[in-house]
Amino acid sequence: MSAVSQTSGAGADKIVLEKAFVKNWKAPISFGVVTIVALLLFVLNGREGTSSFKLTADATAIQLPVIQLPTVATGIVITVLLAGLTAYSAYRVQTERKTPLWIVAIFAFLFLVGFLAWAGAGASIPVYGLLLGTVALSAPLIFGALGGVISERSGVVNIAIEGQMLAGAFVSAMVATLTGNAFAGLFGAMVAGMLVSFVLAAFAIKYLVDQIIVGVVLNVLVLGLTSFFYSTIMTANPQMFNQPARFPRIEIPVLSQIPIIGPLLFQQTIIIYIMYVTVFVVWYGLFHTRWGLRVRSVGEHPQAADTVGIKVGVTRFWNVSLAGAVAGMGGAYFTLGSVGAFNKEMTAGAGFIALAAVIFGQWDPLKATMAALLFGFATNLQSVLGVIGSPVPSEFMLMLPYVVTILAVAGFVGKSRAPAADGKPYIK
Amino acid sequence: MPKSAFLRPLVLLSAAGLLLAGCASAPDTSTGPSPSESASANADYCARMVTNSGGLQDRSFNQSSWEGLQSAGEKYGIDVQAIVSKTETDVGPNVEQAVATGCQYVLTVGWELADATLAQATAHPDVHFSIVDEQVDAPNIKPIVFNTAEASYLAGYLAAGVSKTGIVATFGGDNQPPVTLFMDGFSDGIDQYNQVHGTTVKLLGWNKAKQDGEFTGDYEDTTKGKAKAQAFLDAGADVILPVAGQVGEGAAAAVVDAGGAASLIWVDNDGFETLPAEFRPIVLTSVLKNTQDAVISIVGGDIDGVFDNSAFIGTLKNGGVEIAPFHDRADLVSTELAGEIDQLRQQIIDGAIVVTSPSTPSSN
Repeated sequence: MSAVSQTSGAGADKIVLEKAFVKNWKAPISFGVVTIVALLLFVLNGREGTSSFKLTADATAIQLPVIQLPTVATGIVITVLLAGLTAYSAYRVQTERKTPLWIVAIFAFLFLVGFLAWAGAGASIPVYGLLLGTVALSAPLIFGALGGVISERSGVVNIAIEGQMLAGAFVSAMVATLTGNAFAGLFGAMVAGMLVSFVLAAFAIKYLVDQIIVGVVLNVLVLGLTSFFYSTIMTANPQMFNQPARFPRIEIPVLSQIPIIGPLLFQQTIIIYIMYVTVFVVWYGLFHTRWGLRVRSVGEHPQAADTVGIKVGVTRFWNVSLAGAVAGMGGAYFTLGSVGAFNKEMTAGAGFIALAAVIFGQWDPLKATMAALLFGFATNLQSVLGVIGSPVPSEFMLMLPYVVTILAVAGFVGKSRAPAADGKPYIK
Repeated sequence: MPKSAFLRPLVLLSAAGLLLAGCASAPDTSTGPSPSESASANADYCARMVTNSGGLQDRSFNQSSWEGLQSAGEKYGIDVQAIVSKTETDVGPNVEQAVATGCQYVLTVGWELADATLAQATAHPDVHFSIVDEQVDAPNIKPIVFNTAEASYLAGYLAAGVSKTGIVATFGGDNQPPVTLFMDGFSDGIDQYNQVHGTTVKLLGWNKAKQDGEFTGDYEDTTKGKAKAQAFLDAGADVILPVAGQVGEGAAAAVVDAGGAASLIWVDNDGFETLPAEFRPIVLTSVLKNTQDAVISIVGGDIDGVFDNSAFIGTLKNGGVEIAPFHDRADLVSTELAGEIDQLRQQIIDGAIVVTSPSTPSSN
C-alpha cells in the first residue's frame, strides 16, 4: 500500500487536472433510484397508522421510551430529505467534487428509517432485536471474511472459505462432544480450518496449481467428507459424537446494562468477543506491524519482497494457514456459538457470502467486516419485517440481502482493487 | 526444481485419491436379514429399499420405512434389504442397483430419489415401486405421502390453548406444498380454538388465505432459523412450529437462549426423542409421520398381487400422521384441553371435521 500511495503522491501535480474532469455520476444516480423507490412506497403507496420503534427489550433494567412516528408524515418528510440529498450529491458532482461517505451513510440511514416506518405501520419494530440478530447472523461471515482478507492479502485467493468453515463446524461439534469442552471444540475448529488451508497452500504455493480450482475442489471435498462422516458416524451415535455444549452467554457487569449497545457488545458468547478482538487484531496487524507489512508485500509485489529477503512461499503458506484457522472459528460459531449440533451442509453458502464481503470490502478487514454486517443486517431485516407483518411477499423479502448487496456494490463502493499479486503463484 | 518435479506426480496421485475418497460413492453397505427361514411361501418375492443420504438411523423416514420393511419381511417371510446412500450422487446408481437385484418391489425414500425412481420405473415397468414423502406419477409407482394438515390441526389447537401471550408462530424452509401443508393445518387449528373459546390467539408467520408467510429460504442454515425464531420471540410468540428440517434446531436454540419459557412443536418425528438433550424440555409436541404401517400393508398387498399407483395418504384415521405425547410440557396442557384434542381427533377421523388445504395430497 505504502508504495502505491507514494507513486500517486509523486505524480499528483500532473494528475490533478485529469482527476478533476472525471465526473462520477454513480452516487447521484443510485440516490435518485432509491429516492424514486421511496416516493413510490412511502408517499404514493403510503400506509396509514403509527410506527413505533422499540429500542429496548422488555426485560432490561434501563428502558428507553418507544419512539412513535406517524407513518405517512414520516414517509413524506424522509422522501423530501432523500430528494434533497440526491440533489446535493448531483450538485457536488456537477461542481467536480466527490460524494463523501457521510452523505451515503445519512442517506442509507434515512431510507432505512423510512422503510421500517412504512413496512412496520401499525406495528412495533424491535430495534434491539434487529441489531442483535445482525450480529448473530454476521458473525460467521465476519470470521470468514477475515480469513479471506488475510489469505488474499498474502497473495493466495481463498475460495475455500466455505470448506474451512464447514470443516471447522464439523470438527468443533465432534471434539467438543468427545471432550465435553467447548473450548477444545473451538481449538479443533481452528485446526480443521488450518488443515484445509494446508492443502490449498501446498497446491497453490508449492505446486502452482490454479488457486481458484483448488479452492472449489476443496469446498466440494469438505462437503463430501463432512456429509459422509455425518451420516455414518454422527447420526449413528449423536450422544457420543454430536451433542456439544454450547458457549454460555457472558454478561459483563454494568456495561451490559447500557441500552442497545450493552446487549450488542457486552452480553454475548465468548466466540463473539473473540470476533470483536480478531477484527481489531487483524486490522492492526495488517497495517501497523511488521507481520502485516510482510503479508501485504508478498501479496502486492512478491519479487520486491523476495529481493529484500522475505521468504515469499513461507510467508504465504503460514498466512493461508492462519486464514484457515480464522475461518474455522467462523465454522465453530455455527455449532458451539449458535445451535450446538452439527448438521449437514450447515454453513449453507456463508463462505461464499464472506468471499463477496472480502471483495466488497476492498480487501480491508474493517470494510469487509462492515460488508458482512450489512449482509447480516439485511438478512435479519427480512426476518424481522416478515414477523411484524410486512406487505412485501416472502419471496421478495428473501431476496433482500442480495439486492442490498448488489445495490451497495454497484452504487456506492468505489473500484475494488485486489492485491496486485493475488491469485498469481510466485515463481522465482 | 528436481525435487518438486519428482514429487509432483506423487502429490497429484494422492490428491486424486483423496478426491475420489471424498466424492465417489462410498461402498454400499447392505444390511438386513438373510433370506428368511419361513420363506417357503414367498421364496421368489423380495423387496429392496434405497435410503436418501440420511442413512438408516436417521430417526426419520429412512428409519421408519426400514422398520416397516423389516416387519413386512418377518410377517410375510420375504427377503428384504436396504441400500444406503451416502451422498446425493449415490441415489441414482443405488436405485439402479436395487432394480438390478431382480426384486419385485423397490421402496425409495425422500424427494431426492424422485428422479432416479421415475427413471428406473419407466425403464422397468414390471417392477413395483413406492416412494416415501414425494408424489411421483407413474403406472408402477405408489407414493406414500402424508396429510400432515390433520395432525397439525391438532397441534394448532393445542398451541392456541397453551399460549399465554396469545401469539403463536410458525415458519418454513421454503414455500412448498409439503411445508405449507403443516402451516395450513396449524392455522386452522388455531382458528378452531378461537372459535370455540372466543379467544383471539394470533398466528405469526403464515397467512392461509394469502398462502404466504415466513421462510428461511433453505433447510441447512440453522443460524437463520435462530434469528427468525428470535424475531418471533421478540414479537411475543410463546409457541413456535418450525417446518424447516434441521433449521428448526435454530428455533430450539433461540427458545432455550431466551430462558426456555416458550415451547416448540417439532415435525416429522418426535423431537423429544430426536433433538439434542438440551432442547428436549421445550418440546410441547411433534407432528409425526408414520411410514411403518403403510409399508407393511403395501408390501402385503403386492405379494397378493394387489398393487396400484394411487398414493397412500397417511391420515389420522389410518395412523399415518399423529401428534406426539407432551412429555415434559404435559403440565401446560390441562385435562380439558387434552380432552378437546381427543374429541377433535375423533371428529377428523369420523369426517365431521375436514381439514382443507391447497396442498393436501391427492390420491391421483
